[in-house]
Amino acid sequence: MNEKNLLKGNIAIAKAALECGCSCYFGYPITPQTDIGEYLSLEMQKRNLAYVCAESEIGAINMALGAASSGEKVMTSSSSCAVALMQETLSYAASDELPIVLVNVMRAGPGQGYIFPSQGDYNQATIGGGNGDYKTIVLSPSSIQECIDLTYKSFHLAQKYKNPTILLVDGLLGQMAEPAIITENPYPEIDNSNWRLDGAKNRTSRKIHSLEPNQNKLNKHILKLYQKYQIIEQNEPDWEEYLCNDAEIILTAFGTMARSVKAVCNFFREKGIKMGVYRPITLYPFPYKRLRELSINAKHIIDIEMNMGQMLRDVRLSVLSNSQISFIGKPVGDWLKKEEIINTINTIIKEQYASI
Amino acid sequence: MQVYSIPKSIKENSKFTFCKGCDHGVAIKIIAEIIDELNLRENTIAISSSGCSVLLYNFLDVDCLEAPHGRACAVATGVKRAHRAKKDEKFVFTYQGDGDFASIGLSESMHSALRGENITAICINNTNYGMTGGQMGPTSTMGQLTTTSPLGRNKEYHGFPIKTAEQIALCEGTQFSARVALYDVKNILNAKKIIKKAFECQLNNKGFSFVEILSSCPTNWKLSPQDSHKKIAEELTKIYPLDIFKDTTND
Amino acid sequence: MSYIKINQDKCKSCYLCIDVCPHKLIKKSNNTGSTGELTVEFSDNENKCIGCAQCAIVCPEIAIEEVTRE
Repeated sequence: MNEKNLLKGNIAIAKAALECGCSCYFGYPITPQTDIGEYLSLEMQKRNLAYVCAESEIGAINMALGAASSGEKVMTSSSSCAVALMQETLSYAASDELPIVLVNVMRAGPGQGYIFPSQGDYNQATIGGGNGDYKTIVLSPSSIQECIDLTYKSFHLAQKYKNPTILLVDGLLGQMAEPAIITENPYPEIDNSNWRLDGAKNRTSRKIHSLEPNQNKLNKHILKLYQKYQIIEQNEPDWEEYLCNDAEIILTAFGTMARSVKAVCNFFREKGIKMGVYRPITLYPFPYKRLRELSINAKHIIDIEMNMGQMLRDVRLSVLSNSQISFIGKPVGDWLKKEEIINTINTIIKEQYASI
Repeated sequence: MQVYSIPKSIKENSKFTFCKGCDHGVAIKIIAEIIDELNLRENTIAISSSGCSVLLYNFLDVDCLEAPHGRACAVATGVKRAHRAKKDEKFVFTYQGDGDFASIGLSESMHSALRGENITAICINNTNYGMTGGQMGPTSTMGQLTTTSPLGRNKEYHGFPIKTAEQIALCEGTQFSARVALYDVKNILNAKKIIKKAFECQLNNKGFSFVEILSSCPTNWKLSPQDSHKKIAEELTKIYPLDIFKDTTND
Repeated sequence: MSYIKINQDKCKSCYLCIDVCPHKLIKKSNNTGSTGELTVEFSDNENKCIGCAQCAIVCPEIAIEEVTRE
């Protein structure tokens, strides 16, 4: 504890989950997140905790749904095309108000795609592929330390809001190692004795269900969920600002991409360009408000992602001023390099700053 | 002497919402009686599913969680394991239709059986998709007229039905698998005995237990409740024999 | 004297109880139930009911709520 160790992203997430009291894990192998399940298999068995090598991702997420009803801290992890299989149950969990933490260590798609790096699941995570009016909280780390911090936060927000929460991790981050500390979980335990299913002893029986044949009741239920989402949108947006205060050009990026984007920003700052980086940490709730404020003084917003422009939609929704919005992206493969980004920005801002 | 009263595990003032003559009501009633007899009410988490069986939670006075269509056994696995992780064993059973258990959920069902998950699954087999209006299901019999096999189920065109209790009995993790019916008093009493045995299998930590209940669907079969029971007694039990296909509970 | 208590509110007129009663003590009443058909009632003027509870066992609605045997 409190010692800096070289940690791989996937292992850091698994260790943090154990550290904050996750007692149930259900999963199915898929690259590049398999070492989360591999690591937890031994650690959870040693502690007599719940671990099932599920028959499929559908099995895994439904085991997680069942386990979450007990009030225990529950996690499953998967990747892109297999997270697609879990969408139905995420919709159920949102309607049932059950706290499930889902770690998606992204690979490249669509379809089976491949294990190349990509940030192609922004839409899948934030908009969701399940049916009906529902939201999932989505957190996006950009370092191994943040993988740990946001794992704690995922469990906390899931329990606090009784809502499924996705930790959206770049495959690159899951697989790379850097020094990090397994800190103590800073969040308090949340009492769930008023809703969990643990047997109707000395109380009336409880039912958790999403079916509602009464139109008024279903309306009421969805409106109640939306009041909760409004509170989440009010209280939980989280972001990192880097040199944004006087920025005339703001680069937006999430996850690992933001790291190279910061290096790009440093380059232009050295050339005297007033540039900053805005990195959303919560992708839902997206931190619209602050980006909107910053955009008032910015001439240009450039969104940079390892996909074809998925967060771009939220960036556009943030920006009300006339600032020009541009996009730099690439669907899969080698991460966009600093030099590539600099060259593209040069073209966009119609200036030429040598990239080297 | 009162020899019969409403089971305590049936919610007060609850009124079943199944169709006239549907055996779901009898199935839920005997399950409630067993829960009372084994004193399980305060220790039970029931998992309902999609289809007519979903409404279990409106009638049974135990904690109840609805599973997505077909996933009841996976959900039950999670419930069982989570409580075990906090050293608080719960009695967990699923209540599913044949479409739920043996078609859309066959993977979750069979893998729970294969793992020997210590849960009990109850499957109401009425040989069609009842709630959606009587379509061909995995258990629809050869020649059966349904809204999606209007000329009768045909092996060349539609393929074969599944004999669920026999299939589940083949799984190593299954410790108890049986098929019962509810078409007369004798069978109802026997079904209760068998379901009780399946519940006890779990209570004794033996592993997966399963009971398939041949049930009437008068509305979609377009038969009276009486003729529906006659059909089960005379036709269905020949195709789906009533038997215990696996029982290791005394081993 | 054995007797049964029928809750006509719950009766859906399947008449399975009528068929199963060994002494034919259950018959259609004059009341229309939730299915639009006549519900059932218990009529045992000659104290023939033996409290066998078969009617309650087959009733899919738990509309036969009590059986008392003497």
